[in-house]
Amino acid sequence: METTPQSPADEKPLVLLSQPLFPEFAAALAGRYRFVLAADADAAAAAVARVLLVPGLAPVTAEHLARLPALELVAGTSVGVDHVDLDNCRSRGLSVTNAGPAFAVDSADYAVGLVVAVLRRVAAADAYVRRGRWAADGDYPLATKVSGKRVGIVGLGNIGSRVARRLAAFGCAVSYHSRSPKPSSPYTFVPALLDLAAGSDVLVLSCALTDETKHMVNRTVMEALGKDGVLINVGRGGLVDEPELVRCLRDGAIGGAGLDVYANEPAVPPELFGMDNVVLSDHRAVITPESIRGVLEVVTANLDAFFSGRPLVSPVQL
Amino acid sequence: MESLGVLLLHPMNAYLEQELDRRFRLIRLWDSPPDARADFLRSNAAAIRAVVGNAGYNADSALIDALPALEIVASFSVGIDRVDLAKCRERGIRVTNTPDVLTDDVADLAVGLAIAALRKIPQADRYVRAGLWKAKGDYTLTTRFSGKRVAILGLGRIGLAVAKRAEAFDCSISYHSRSQKPFPNYRFFTNVVDLAANCDVLIVACSLNAETHHIVSREVIHALGPEGVLINIGRGAHVDEPELVSALFEKRLGAAGLDVFEHEPFPPEQLIGLDNVVLVPHVGSDTEETCKAMADLVLQNLEAHALNKPLLTPFSGKRVGIIGLGRIGLAIATRVEAFDCPVNYYQRTKKEYPNYTYYPSVVELAANSDVLVVACPLNEQTRHIVNREVIDALGPKGVLINIGRGPHVDEPELVSALVEGRLGGAGLDVFEDEPNVPEALFTLDNVVLVPHVGSGTHETRQAMADLVLGNLEAHVLKKPLLTPVV
Repeated sequence: METTPQSPADEKPLVLLSQPLFPEFAAALAGRYRFVLAADADAAAAAVARVLLVPGLAPVTAEHLARLPALELVAGTSVGVDHVDLDNCRSRGLSVTNAGPAFAVDSADYAVGLVVAVLRRVAAADAYVRRGRWAADGDYPLATKVSGKRVGIVGLGNIGSRVARRLAAFGCAVSYHSRSPKPSSPYTFVPALLDLAAGSDVLVLSCALTDETKHMVNRTVMEALGKDGVLINVGRGGLVDEPELVRCLRDGAIGGAGLDVYANEPAVPPELFGMDNVVLSDHRAVITPESIRGVLEVVTANLDAFFSGRPLVSPVQL
Repeated sequence: MESLGVLLLHPMNAYLEQELDRRFRLIRLWDSPPDARADFLRSNAAAIRAVVGNAGYNADSALIDALPALEIVASFSVGIDRVDLAKCRERGIRVTNTPDVLTDDVADLAVGLAIAALRKIPQADRYVRAGLWKAKGDYTLTTRFSGKRVAILGLGRIGLAVAKRAEAFDCSISYHSRSQKPFPNYRFFTNVVDLAANCDVLIVACSLNAETHHIVSREVIHALGPEGVLINIGRGAHVDEPELVSALFEKRLGAAGLDVFEHEPFPPEQLIGLDNVVLVPHVGSDTEETCKAMADLVLQNLEAHALNKPLLTPFSGKRVGIIGLGRIGLAIATRVEAFDCPVNYYQRTKKEYPNYTYYPSVVELAANSDVLVVACPLNEQTRHIVNREVIDALGPKGVLINIGRGPHVDEPELVSALVEGRLGGAGLDVFEDEPNVPEALFTLDNVVLVPHVGSGTHETRQAMADLVLGNLEAHVLKKPLLTPVV
């Protein structure tokens, strides 16, 4: 796309894109802003661009950012913005926005779906039926009850708090770990992740990936979770030491896992393919029309707010 | 108890089998080859006093006929549609099932299946395992579960547990059942087609009987529609299976999550290749915890039978609901237990009665009982405790027994309900304005009227008189009163 001299009549604000827009976004936003792919932007555009919109999860590095001296806002379309060099944004005084609460409901629903699917072996039992084994081999082996399990949630933000409410309705006892306790929350705060793991039957990861949280679920934590414990990850693959996770599952050090995210998507450790106590998913927790509409609203609101000098709707604390 | 011969119909649970063998005289039906079954039963018939069945294999008419010494059927299931109840009733054979212990598991699975079906979780798992996830950007759109309109067929223990879970996902709840239940937040539909037309997810959670066979018919499936989802955690026979299969295949129905099938263990072939269905092999209550609890219930019921003690979870008798479980209420409970009546109760505070089911309100008690008995003291809070709402909840087949005080019941409401057939019957010992009894009741055949004779026996009146005299003497002699109330 080449830039043309702007006349006052068609003065749509310029928004650079790190990646092409999703079709749904393009349709909704095309008339409101002038979109230019950052890679294609000429020197003039790069010099004046104030906003970089980041569709998807492809990395946005310090080098990318360095090409945009007038940049003020990096607007993400996901909840996790670990793919953006946040240190660089912080040192340059940039604002960063994410999807805010737009994905929280679907993420929480999916996390609960994974909890039931792992504990009650729904995916494995479905495969058992489809392979004709019910008739050939008899009843499926007993699974374990969801109701009454002790659930530990890592990160009690928009997603974690919704997971808590849903699993509480299943009769689960809910505790959580986060950077600081939430006084308004009815659930038990556990200051140390290791203690949360030790006291839980199910550990649900729903926090951001940062330097502090990278590989927070390591062998020690998994051993504390224990041979009957189940790990559910709808956060980021990087929260977990993935090779260790595979070893723990293989050795029976933990009881099972439900994974929507991985260290190096779309690569999934093939050792997991043969395990019945694991449910694998292709990072689809938030791929619903409802979430897409929701994030579109949030992104639009952030862009509108920025360009009219109002407070951003979903700023990320850097 | 070794003399209680128990016929186990199927190797349904290892712990159950092992304990039956240890505590009773266990006879395994599958020890005989299928073609020699009649002879096998004949040679063991004299010994077999109990049968243990489950959802798939139970005491049907032919089996009951073959067992002249049969006294009790203890089912390892909550649904007993495969027990010939009419025949059991005729022969005086007691029946027990395993309610409550599996409610959570089945409800957990129902909601888990709904999420799995809508969000296509097993399909995602297959996709990844098949190595098909090649690029981060390729994605399958599925629709959100939270906020969907959830409709429940049958609002019993399981239906209510499903509703409670779905509510945490901000789902609106509607339902159909034989009679309206006291839950104003849940929308009641008298017609199943209308229920289906007004929901996104329909969950089958009622018991299977003649009225509910194929309750999910072609019309209902059509009303549910191409965006609709059917979840069946009841019985295969609740659904017209061929219709369901073709609707799913042709995408006239959006999706389904099925735990049960008309011919287990054979789900319809055509479903095997579909991505819009989740299939699980009747695992609703198949967890270690629940199966052990179910097995323990079966064993305890059999022991109770052998020792002539009250059954823990009888299915046979009418459900008796007692308002007030004080001395009189408890005495009523122990009597009706001997008739295999399940006992429910309401009182201000729940106490620990393992065999009696507590309800937090009189209306809910009435909705879950066949016979409602008033046995609480009369005070400001309990005046008219049996009001129109309670009478409606008891319903046209329900019976009210009042051995408390006339003012416990809204008498004009009671009279009109009985006259109009909105209440099935009543046994009344007390009235609001004794000795005046509403004349409208005199011509009714479904009402028994007695003139406040609850304690009217020689023995009891003598004992009561002695208490009165004893209290007066104690007062005069400045000794402690015998039965002070205040």
